[in-house]
Amino acid sequence: MPRFKLTFHGYAVRFSPFYEHRLAVGTSQNFGILGNGRIHILDLAGAGAGAGDISETLSFDTADGVYDVSWSESNDNILISATGDGSVKVWDLAAPPTANPLRSLHEHSREVQSVDYNPVRRDSFLSAAWDDTVKLWTLDRPASVRTFKEHAYCVYAAAWNPRHADVFASASGDCTVRVWDVRESGSTMIIPGHEFEILTCDWNKYNDCVIATGSVDKSIRVWDVRSYRAPISVMNGHGYPVRKVKFSPHHGSFIASCSYDMSVCCWDYQLEDALVSRYEQHTEFAVGLDMSVLVEGLLASAGWDQLVYVWQHGSDPMAGPPLPPPPMMG
Amino acid sequence: MSMRELVTGGAACAVPGSSSSSNPLGALANSLLGSSSKTQEKLNELPGTAVTGPSTSLYSGGDNQLSTLPGFENEEQELRHPDAQASEFLRGFRGADHGGFADAWNEIQRPQLPPHGLRGGPLPYTEFDRVYENGFQSQPPPTLDGPPGMVLSNFLHSFMRSSGTGVPFGPAMLPVLGLSERDKLCIRDRSSIMARHFFADKSEEFINAQVNTLLHSLDIDSDFRAKGPIPGRYPELEEYWNESQGAIQPVIHNPANGWINEFSQQKSLHSDPEAWVNMFEQQHGAKGWASEFQQEQSQMTSMNQINSANMAAMEQARMLAHTLSQNNNPKFQNSKFHQFVSKMSRGELIVDDNQIKPAGVSSHVGWAEEYQQQHKGAPTSWVNEFAQNELSHGTNGWAKEFSAERELHGSVDDKWVQEFSKLNVNDWAEEFGHQVGEGVLGESSEWLDGYNEYLNEQQAVKQQSNSSRGVYLFSDMNPYVGHPDPLKEGQELFRKGLLSEAVLALEAEVIKNPENAEGWRLLGITHAENDDDQQAIASMMRAHEVDPTNLEVLLALGVSHTNELEQAEALKYLYGWLQHHPKYGTLAPPEQSASLFFADVAGLFNEAARLSPDDADVHIVLGVLYNLSREFDSAIKSFQSALKLKPRDYSLWNKLGATQANSVQSADALLAYQQALDLKPNYVRAWANMGISFANQGLYEDSIRYYVRALAMNPKADNAWQYLRISLSCASRNDMLEACDSRNLDVLQREFPL
Repeated sequence: MPRFKLTFHGYAVRFSPFYEHRLAVGTSQNFGILGNGRIHILDLAGAGAGAGDISETLSFDTADGVYDVSWSESNDNILISATGDGSVKVWDLAAPPTANPLRSLHEHSREVQSVDYNPVRRDSFLSAAWDDTVKLWTLDRPASVRTFKEHAYCVYAAAWNPRHADVFASASGDCTVRVWDVRESGSTMIIPGHEFEILTCDWNKYNDCVIATGSVDKSIRVWDVRSYRAPISVMNGHGYPVRKVKFSPHHGSFIASCSYDMSVCCWDYQLEDALVSRYEQHTEFAVGLDMSVLVEGLLASAGWDQLVYVWQHGSDPMAGPPLPPPPMMG
Repeated sequence: MSMRELVTGGAACAVPGSSSSSNPLGALANSLLGSSSKTQEKLNELPGTAVTGPSTSLYSGGDNQLSTLPGFENEEQELRHPDAQASEFLRGFRGADHGGFADAWNEIQRPQLPPHGLRGGPLPYTEFDRVYENGFQSQPPPTLDGPPGMVLSNFLHSFMRSSGTGVPFGPAMLPVLGLSERDKLCIRDRSSIMARHFFADKSEEFINAQVNTLLHSLDIDSDFRAKGPIPGRYPELEEYWNESQGAIQPVIHNPANGWINEFSQQKSLHSDPEAWVNMFEQQHGAKGWASEFQQEQSQMTSMNQINSANMAAMEQARMLAHTLSQNNNPKFQNSKFHQFVSKMSRGELIVDDNQIKPAGVSSHVGWAEEYQQQHKGAPTSWVNEFAQNELSHGTNGWAKEFSAERELHGSVDDKWVQEFSKLNVNDWAEEFGHQVGEGVLGESSEWLDGYNEYLNEQQAVKQQSNSSRGVYLFSDMNPYVGHPDPLKEGQELFRKGLLSEAVLALEAEVIKNPENAEGWRLLGITHAENDDDQQAIASMMRAHEVDPTNLEVLLALGVSHTNELEQAEALKYLYGWLQHHPKYGTLAPPEQSASLFFADVAGLFNEAARLSPDDADVHIVLGVLYNLSREFDSAIKSFQSALKLKPRDYSLWNKLGATQANSVQSADALLAYQQALDLKPNYVRAWANMGISFANQGLYEDSIRYYVRALAMNPKADNAWQYLRISLSCASRNDMLEACDSRNLDVLQREFPL
């Protein structure tokens, strides 16, 4: 399947919820430690035939690293990004270059590591930042609607519940995951999920009570929020911290993860032997990961080796179009 | 941020507490720059790559300009007159008494306080910086060079990479990079937070040392505990992880004198070349396995050559190599840092004078010897056990073997390590560490057996493939068996281009007369033209057995082995051609055939071409030879010379086309193949080659049509079926894969007419 060479180091990748061949990739210079950022809008349409590679349709430059991107669920051209300078930016693919970014929402005092667009109420989104807060935004407001400040350390991820428009979870370096209802004053649940920093979390798309977390302790744990004293599953297999976990939009118990061990793993947390497959295409930290909602089994990953891979689960991400054989002299 | 905003200090530049919107430069900028600004964001150019603009406020630089989003006007309306769902959402907010919209709104409207304190304030340490710089300037010249952006990038890269090794990241002398305060703050804060992820399984001290080294080398105030770890987290796991790392000493952060300590530590670190080594010792030597080992070492008398710090570093590295070797991931096994750690563990790299240096060969060998001596000298230790084991095996020991091999390979360099790791032999050091860890010393020869087994297997596979190749497979139910003159019939069918029929007739001939070289030869030629190389080679080998001097057979075998890129075999047959040629035989002394080198053989053929420039065959063989050496331009010239003499040789046109295709001249190749097909329309190999050329250009649909045409003429061309399958999937025609797999030519021809 095809791949795309990035200018900077890959941080995040997301499939468009509207077009099966469209991807957004967030990247940062110098591993996101210092320098610029760039968002690539990629097109898969030509991939597979012809040159077999992914083509870029558009790119946006930023003055600091782009750590995450998320597509609008209501407008196919709107993308939001999390930036190292603490800003959340709104981009319009249809607008002229000079009009972008449409907005730069600057409230976080530290790096924003995660943005997530509400898939149910399609007008709001979350940002999670190293200033220990999560903020709720709507596209039509110049400032955040609410700030959720309870975590004691960096918040690395915030994820909306796929069923309940007002419920989201946040994962933090304070080793907890918190579940929030935006209608409540404080968090409704604190899960002390790991003994090390929690870098990522995601909700099960088929069971709104199940959440997965990934941590610096290298494990992925699956929790039922109705009885969260103990995880319902602990999945070991990554050799370094787990950077991203993602529940499949097509199978209830299927999870994909990527890690600083450079691999992308797929799991079925209901199996005793949970590790389904391991993909080793990246040669540096694998940081960004997504699963297509529109094409079942289609995965995308982005890494610090400046590569984005798109492949079908079960196939080899590195298998390009096979080389034609050498011609034969008669 | 556009250039204009940069000059005017527009909204994006608004530094808290400063007002810059009424900048008189703005008017000038407007008139100068007009509306030519292309991007809204001023990119954060690294120093040295572009002019650095006025520094913006900490972490700012965003564009706060608001515009109405297209397509959202309606939704805004909705919010003002919310529908049922929306109003519920709003009530939810209002219902909560802590932060309804009004509160949230007010919160946002409050002026943003400038960031304060350690968590992001501007560095208040200007005096510190000045003192620090003075100290820094007294250092030796920088060791990393190039444009500042590149130096920084490389340096950060090495920092990241060091996460995989656990080997302390060595301080580097960097040129002045001209980092702004904001840049420094970014590096400081981000690297310290991120390092806690990458180096998660290392001790807190190790992480601090790593980050300190990074920051110090970049001349950055290292009071990075702004976002330090949360005290009292990691209970058991950290302990478990750090068992091998030495003592865990919780870092007590004192904000009052933190930076002073840091500074003095680092100052001494840089003024004293051995400070880093000491630090390393402090870090790893307190207790744990490494120090135990060190204690044992210190009892030995033979430790003079290598200082204990290096021994500790070596042991540290060895343990890491051990850890890494237990990770079966080949990526880690092949990674540069693994090689680095392996070298470190073998004492090939030593810590000397603040630098990692390659150790001399002598010191390495010395280490290996020392190691053996230690085995003998430590009566109760496992080391001794191992030594005894080694002795009881009666071998010379891995160490000597290894040293011997090392000497064979020459000096200590990367090349050697790479070469060694290329072998499918597990690095002995890792293997040794692994076995020590597993306590399976008695079975230490197991892996060697495994390796020998593997070698034998490889050998067997190779022999098998060689033997199966030479076997000719006859067709079942041959109607020509019993034919009075199958050779004549075969020649006639070949001339008509009915290749598959000709094959049957010629098979009948060689069954009837197995010693008929011409029968085998023509059978081989027919198979080659029919694009069945396996059968072609098998026939030609039989023809060669019957008549070892037949020139056409020798050339055909040379060509077939060239197609397979088997240089030695191809050279043998092509040299044989020269040897048995009545005109050029004198050029090729038989004794030379024992050791053939490409350059010699090519030289002989060039000599032959000089002697008789009008002999097309010499040019043809030269062309084949240049294909063998992949000098396609020369090969094309040779074939073109031959074609001037033999313009109607279709197989020569095909050779030219194949050579052009190999040198990525697909358009020319198609023309040459077309010439061949004009002369011989049933030339299956040329049809297949055309398909390959189209596939090379990404024209998979076209390639499919040519493969299908070739297969329609010879459904037994197995290669072409494989090529067809590849092109079908590349063209996303998976719907036709079943027809391909069931070899349903009717369906394929209907779908892909030519």
